Amino acid sequence: MFLSLRHISKRFGAVPALNDVTLNIAEGEFVCFLGPSGCGKTTLLRVIAGLETPDTGEVTQNGTSLIGVPARLRNFGIVFQSYSLFPNMTVGRNIGYGLECRKWPKDAIGPRIDEVLTLVHLRDQAEKYPHQLSGGQQQRVALARALAPKPTVLLLDEPLSALDAKVREELRAEIKDLQTALRVTTIMVTHDQHEAMEMADRIVVMNAGVIEQVGGAADLYDQPVNRFVAEFIGRMNLVKLSTTKLVIAGAGAGGDPYIGIRPEHIEVIDGGTTEGGTLVGRIEKCIFLGSFTRITLNVDDKRLVLELRGRRTDLKPGAALAVRIPADAIHRLQDATK
Amino acid sequence: MTNSSASASRFAPKIDSDRVAVVGLAVAVVVPLFLFVVAPLFEIFKMSFVTADGIGLGNYVRYINSPKFTKVVGNSLAVAATTTTLTVLLAYAFAYAMRRTAMPLKNVFGSVALLPLFAPSLVQALGIVFLFGRNGVINRTFNLGIDIYGFWGIVISDVFYSFPHAYLILSAALAVADARLYESAQVLGATGARIFRDITLPSTKYGILSATFVVFTIVITDFGNPMVIGGDYNVLATEIYNQVSGQGNFSMGAVIGVMLLVPVALAVIAEKWIMRRHHATITERSQPLQIQRERWRDRVGLTFALVICAMIAAIVLVVVVASFVTLWPYNMHVSLRHYRFEVQNGLQPLWTSIGVSLMAAGIGVIVTIGGACVTRRLRNVAGQCVYFLSILPAAVPGMVLGLGYILVFNNPSNPLEFLYGTLLILALCNVYHYHAQGFLIATTSINQISRVFDEASTSLGGGFLRTLWQVILPIISPSIISVGVFFFVRSMVTLSAVIFLVTPQTQVAAVSVLLLDDAGNANQAAAFSVCIMLVVALALLLFQLVLRMSGGKNVSLIR
Repeated sequence: MFLSLRHISKRFGAVPALNDVTLNIAEGEFVCFLGPSGCGKTTLLRVIAGLETPDTGEVTQNGTSLIGVPARLRNFGIVFQSYSLFPNMTVGRNIGYGLECRKWPKDAIGPRIDEVLTLVHLRDQAEKYPHQLSGGQQQRVALARALAPKPTVLLLDEPLSALDAKVREELRAEIKDLQTALRVTTIMVTHDQHEAMEMADRIVVMNAGVIEQVGGAADLYDQPVNRFVAEFIGRMNLVKLSTTKLVIAGAGAGGDPYIGIRPEHIEVIDGGTTEGGTLVGRIEKCIFLGSFTRITLNVDDKRLVLELRGRRTDLKPGAALAVRIPADAIHRLQDATK
Repeated sequence: MTNSSASASRFAPKIDSDRVAVVGLAVAVVVPLFLFVVAPLFEIFKMSFVTADGIGLGNYVRYINSPKFTKVVGNSLAVAATTTTLTVLLAYAFAYAMRRTAMPLKNVFGSVALLPLFAPSLVQALGIVFLFGRNGVINRTFNLGIDIYGFWGIVISDVFYSFPHAYLILSAALAVADARLYESAQVLGATGARIFRDITLPSTKYGILSATFVVFTIVITDFGNPMVIGGDYNVLATEIYNQVSGQGNFSMGAVIGVMLLVPVALAVIAEKWIMRRHHATITERSQPLQIQRERWRDRVGLTFALVICAMIAAIVLVVVVASFVTLWPYNMHVSLRHYRFEVQNGLQPLWTSIGVSLMAAGIGVIVTIGGACVTRRLRNVAGQCVYFLSILPAAVPGMVLGLGYILVFNNPSNPLEFLYGTLLILALCNVYHYHAQGFLIATTSINQISRVFDEASTSLGGGFLRTLWQVILPIISPSIISVGVFFFVRSMVTLSAVIFLVTPQTQVAAVSVLLLDDAGNANQAAAFSVCIMLVVALALLLFQLVLRMSGGKNVSLIR
């Protein structure tokens, strides 16, 4: 494997940040570490970067161990959340810094600065200082600076989270296009599932210092391995079988403690015909959210959330509603691995 | 991809050059701290146990059994306690007027309040003697027969001497306030006095305690003012001088030094401990307090500030005036005769002072910034040790340090003995006397820089030294200059540590002031003080100019 993490553990004092993490990353791949804050995703990225030393475990690149290799000799590019551009240097000098450190010949540095600035669409900004740029431009420069020394791995630590929503969307697409064009192995940390789903080839879902599941966006959404992943990626109606009065056809087999149903998979039965497997409940809330309507339905004291396409003016709170859960929409789920 | 594989061959080096650089800098910072702080302290302790019959507690026994010496301890504590109480009360009221009223002229008041920082440490006593002394203008004019020499003379001089330090701490404490608390209290119907008691006072209690310990330290270690105005009223700092310079009794000087060291060390430890607990009273969500106009409160504040500033300015002004008259207070004709400096080495001590102060500024910047860089990087026990050593000098009174320097460097078996009697040792003594304060200015500003910059530089291949040189130090360059100015100004005005180390060839200006005054030549002493203040004022002006040009803002000179 190009980049390989084996049995990485790390504690901060008494707090475990990473617990026996193993992961392989292929060359040219775009991987996202996704999870709630405190799940260890940033620590894992910093271990790869060499900014943190793991307590146990090994990081290898092409079979060579990186343990003991200081961050500055790894030739990995890093983009931080924000404000990491050196304020005392112009954009050009910021980008040239890594090249000087890596002892590029003087006559190669200037052209390379132009080249990467062109990549991030900021060719004419080389003489400006960071404080003269917008937040989005600063992150573009940070990206250019990280890419300039031709790093073998690009590490992005929540690079978009400090930006406005609109700029964030623009940059998401831009970073993805750039990564596809350059084919540089990229690891991005994020807590935003949409960001991960849009950009990553593979998503690593983390929770409490361990990896819960690794896979593409569709895999994670369609086949979550446990309750944590199911609830973290997209929305999921979760029913604990031991406590519910709800009778759902097809549930209960296999002995898993939970079943989950995506809100958009619950079907409304029009015309009021009641057949086998039908659930009847009372509408509690009706929220119009543009392209879909979200309905909270109370069935035997269990709340189910439905998402129906378009605007449903016919459904009102207090009214009764009959729904059906197709057998293939039922996910059988365990608790998280921990 | 010409360079992409270049780093692969450099994987897994045996000894990382970065480690070497960090450890090297740490050693370069720590070794001088041992030589110039720890060794002198050790020698003082050792000397205090040396008696005619060998090593023992004899000196301490003799000291405790001598009513004369115990009286000195009592005197010191009485002066320090009285002065501290007065200074903190006055400075709190003044800082309150500055921060919590809408009175006009705040800029002027703020500058005047800091005046004593930039004058030689005995100027307050000198000014008060010109006013209230035996030959003071008041006694001569009104024939009141006021006897200012002694306890009250020292107390009044030291109140003015320590006032700016207390004001700066209390002003900082009163500057931050959470408007939400005050608004809630008002909405709930609390009166002004109640709000002060329940909100303002509790939220500034750390500032008050900190100011108390800082002022106590300054007063109990002050040497210049008691020397000029103390008369027969001896305190620990002057007693060390009498024992060592007057009687050549080093052992007894060392014992008194230890006696002085103990309360100072306790006060410094208490202050550091308090400041550590101080943070987090103001959170990011706090709303800054907006000061509303309030007629009577603002008028009272203005009157009080006017009185305080008038007194501070008057003391300095009277010294300036006295230096320009023929013979204060008998012949008030304007004259420049005191500026001829026909005694001793003429104006030479002033040039010596400037030379020493420039050296101290240069060395001070290098060692304190170096120390700050090391503690930023070494975030482990080693770093904590460097930190502790760096702020240790705060607990060492100048008189004790100066005496320690004689013991260490006036010793032929010490390979560094050649330093004794040079200008360099004066500069070094000043640097390590004020090391803690300079180091704290440096660490405060360097710790305001996010560690992301270090990490960004590291990931781009920058080593420890390159990161410092190209990223960190340029960002804090205004603070670096301010550290230099701090050491320059302190070296120009300080008296206590260098008093033991000057020789006729290396006399500095502040010592000249003391000797001239001691010789009954108060007018010339005043003239010399004015020269010192002029140099300091020029240095500060230059500093402001440089800062303006480099665009730096919000740089504090004093801590």
